[in-house]
Amino acid sequence: MFEKSLTDLIQGLRANKRNEADYIQKSLEEIQSEIQQSDMHCKSTAIDKLNYLHMLGYDTNWANFNAVEVMASPRFGEKRKGYLAAAQSFHQETDVLMLATNLIRKDLASANAMEVSVALDGLAQVATPELATDLFDDAMAVLGHSRPFIRKKALVCLYRLVLKHPEGLHALAPLLRERLDDPDPSVVSSAVSVICELARTNPRNYLPLAPKLYQLMNSSTNNWMLIKIVKLFASLTPIEPRLAKKLHGPLSQLICSTSAMSLLYECIHTAVVGDIIGVPLPVTDSVGREIDFAELCARKLVLFYESADHNLRYVGLVTLAQLQARRPELVVNQYETVLKCLDDADLSIRMRALSVISGMATRRTLDRTVKKLMSQLILSNTIKLQPSSSLPSTSNTEYSGKYNSETADSDLFALATSATGASLISARGSIVQSRQLAVAGGPGPADSPEYRLLVVEAIVDMCARQSYANLSNFEWYVAVLVDLVYTAGVDVGQLLGERLLDVTVRVRQVREFSVRLMRQLLSDCQLVSRASAGGSAAKVLCTAAYIMGEYCPLLPASSEDVAMLLPSCLSSLDGEQQATFVQAAIKAYTNWLRDVAGYWNTEVWELVRAVTASTMAQLSDLLATRTGGDDDGAASEFATELPLQVSSRLRHFVEITKAVSVATSNPSDNAPQLCLELHELFTAYELNPVSIAAQSKVPLPEGLDLDSPIGGPIPDTEHIVFPPPPPVSVHSESRRRGSQSSGGRRQRKGHKNEAFYLDDGRDSHRLADLPDVDDIPV
Amino acid sequence: MIKSVLIFNQLGKPRLIKFYEQIGTTQQQEILREIHALVAKRPDTQCNFLEGCQSMGSSSSDSSHRIIYRHYATLYFVFVVDSSESELGILDLIQVFVEALDRVFENVCELDLIFHFDEIHYILMEVVEAGMVIETNLTEISRAVNEAKQQIKPASEHSRL
Repeated sequence: MFEKSLTDLIQGLRANKRNEADYIQKSLEEIQSEIQQSDMHCKSTAIDKLNYLHMLGYDTNWANFNAVEVMASPRFGEKRKGYLAAAQSFHQETDVLMLATNLIRKDLASANAMEVSVALDGLAQVATPELATDLFDDAMAVLGHSRPFIRKKALVCLYRLVLKHPEGLHALAPLLRERLDDPDPSVVSSAVSVICELARTNPRNYLPLAPKLYQLMNSSTNNWMLIKIVKLFASLTPIEPRLAKKLHGPLSQLICSTSAMSLLYECIHTAVVGDIIGVPLPVTDSVGREIDFAELCARKLVLFYESADHNLRYVGLVTLAQLQARRPELVVNQYETVLKCLDDADLSIRMRALSVISGMATRRTLDRTVKKLMSQLILSNTIKLQPSSSLPSTSNTEYSGKYNSETADSDLFALATSATGASLISARGSIVQSRQLAVAGGPGPADSPEYRLLVVEAIVDMCARQSYANLSNFEWYVAVLVDLVYTAGVDVGQLLGERLLDVTVRVRQVREFSVRLMRQLLSDCQLVSRASAGGSAAKVLCTAAYIMGEYCPLLPASSEDVAMLLPSCLSSLDGEQQATFVQAAIKAYTNWLRDVAGYWNTEVWELVRAVTASTMAQLSDLLATRTGGDDDGAASEFATELPLQVSSRLRHFVEITKAVSVATSNPSDNAPQLCLELHELFTAYELNPVSIAAQSKVPLPEGLDLDSPIGGPIPDTEHIVFPPPPPVSVHSESRRRGSQSSGGRRQRKGHKNEAFYLDDGRDSHRLADLPDVDDIPV
Repeated sequence: MIKSVLIFNQLGKPRLIKFYEQIGTTQQQEILREIHALVAKRPDTQCNFLEGCQSMGSSSSDSSHRIIYRHYATLYFVFVVDSSESELGILDLIQVFVEALDRVFENVCELDLIFHFDEIHYILMEVVEAGMVIETNLTEISRAVNEAKQQIKPASEHSRL
């Protein structure tokens, strides 16, 4: 009798804040012994305490049986503790649930309304398919209870049971319909809620209820129910377009008259999402003028997203995004407002504004939007950007100014066209400084990785939409992508690499610019060293290497290109990336040779020999590398060979360099022919990208029948009749010796008849000469 | 449908956790921790809709989970709902729930929630059953709660020996 009550437990926990875990352990032991007692009060107090401990994260499954015992208690207070425990810790496989069937049945039929209500609630939460099947009828019986308090709970319970026992829906549906006429508004509201939930999976089935719901919508004052009905209509109108016309009137009425913001919002949302704004009938607004329904909605929506209340702004932007997707012309003039929302300190609002604004991108607005988003990425407080160390950081205030100022003209803004190649990378020195002037303080919304990822994706999406319909300047786009490599702060390397490749390959004019930027990327040591850790920088550099290799003839070649494409971190990249680098290096090398052969002299000859020698040394280092070996380079048992595609390319390269080395072994006045022609390996034919669907578009030639077999049917080799042994002669013997080398005699004979083996004239002639197996003397 | 109702204080200590989907205890605690971390960062001037929670699904508004919360004194009341619920409606519902607590406890404060945690559950049961809202009228809610209390009082007199 001196067991601790729940209050005692809580007080004890508060007193023992420092050794909470120990105290809880002790309490759990006490509970375990209390729960075994036969006294129901003791048990129920123990269960009560367990309910509390469950909230703190302690598993209470071991007491499931005891929970059922307490559920069976005749006293209401104890009973509901048991039900609470059940709702918290039972799951679909809990075996003690079977024991509970009869007791729940008893409770559902109880005269005490409180017991019925607690049983309904508990059953709704723990229902399993078996329990649902067994107790469905009992729950249905409760639907007719005299008290509305019970009826409304029964409706929800039956909904949950139907989820586990779908066959019950047939029986439930008419009763559900009946409850819509129930005198008590709470019961009607519950019925509407249940119908809304059911209609989410299968709206068509509930279309017949539409007239009744329509009537309820016009007559009720219960805002919660009205909201539910309005939301339900949003899912019904797509399947029944005539409904839109009927709803047009009442909805516009509600929109103009209601004072509840929540209801107004839902009406506008439904009008947009259910495409009721598509109905061309005009409505009269609150001052009696006739305007288009869509206009009315757009106007009312302004109240939301321009409101001072953040919540209203948020929901306003959500619906604005929906409206933008369906009727962009109504939203176009809101560009400025949404742009302002993009600066909001609230991350949720920013994300919503981002989705609206990326839908609004057009040729005119594109670079303003992108500029704004980029400046958000750069001016983050906690993400550290890596300033480039390889280029002189000429302070390029013009560029950083263009990022910050709102009034800068919307023309070309980023790096790009500067002749010296000074770019954002160098301007970043000044941007890093200007960042200090930015908002000081803790992490802002721009630091959230989800937001940054969304921003990068939005920028890329806006520019690339509809095959670059919005872009007027591709060089600017490439520059933006390169900037994103540095400023993103999240793992978008794959995306950026793909986009760079896409635009470089498709747009011929931008290739030269692109290659120039790629060279800058590859020569940035910091970036390259980051790539050795893998991840997004490696993927971008891989693409950069490919582009460099493929289009290097567009730029003046330099001997450093080759070294750049075989960076020291190469062996730490993955197989495919390594292969790309090596292949690009070969292309760059041969290109440089061809270039240099144009002005051949002794110095050039020495340079060629030097570069060739150093490249050979690098290659042999790489070939000797084993991935996963020990530090001292000794091949350990865990070392694996270089991936095949890498080692084969490396060997090609080695052969090429050897050939060049041989060709240049003596100084000559003219460049060796080899140097001039090696690059032809890669430029003999221009290969254009082929679309994925291209293969299927190739027409089959006339008369091609792919289904008929090429030759006759393949014989079963066991039934081959060997030809009679030929007369043994000297000639055939020597030929025989020659023919013994490959395969077996029987195999050869089988091949003669086999459909897919090409008939070599020689063989058929010989086969006849071969002596038979039976002739071999045993 | 309402997926879950959470009440916790500024330090993240739970005062009530109720999940209307059957998920394991560890996962429940993880969700609680993540939502607390996200919510505690937001000042009161920001909107009451949370995005960016990963353990309950993606952060876009098209996904099925929305997190709607209100901050009262030292407590956060969080409702996790799916797309069938109206966001502004749920905000009103949280207000109704808190007012119901206020009626039952008379000027409810965190201490009441700590010591009468089971009663909070039973009050919540009158508003939300198995994830669906069954009552939004304050009078009805407090009437039902009082009726249940009447049943307990005489029973507790018997149980003490």
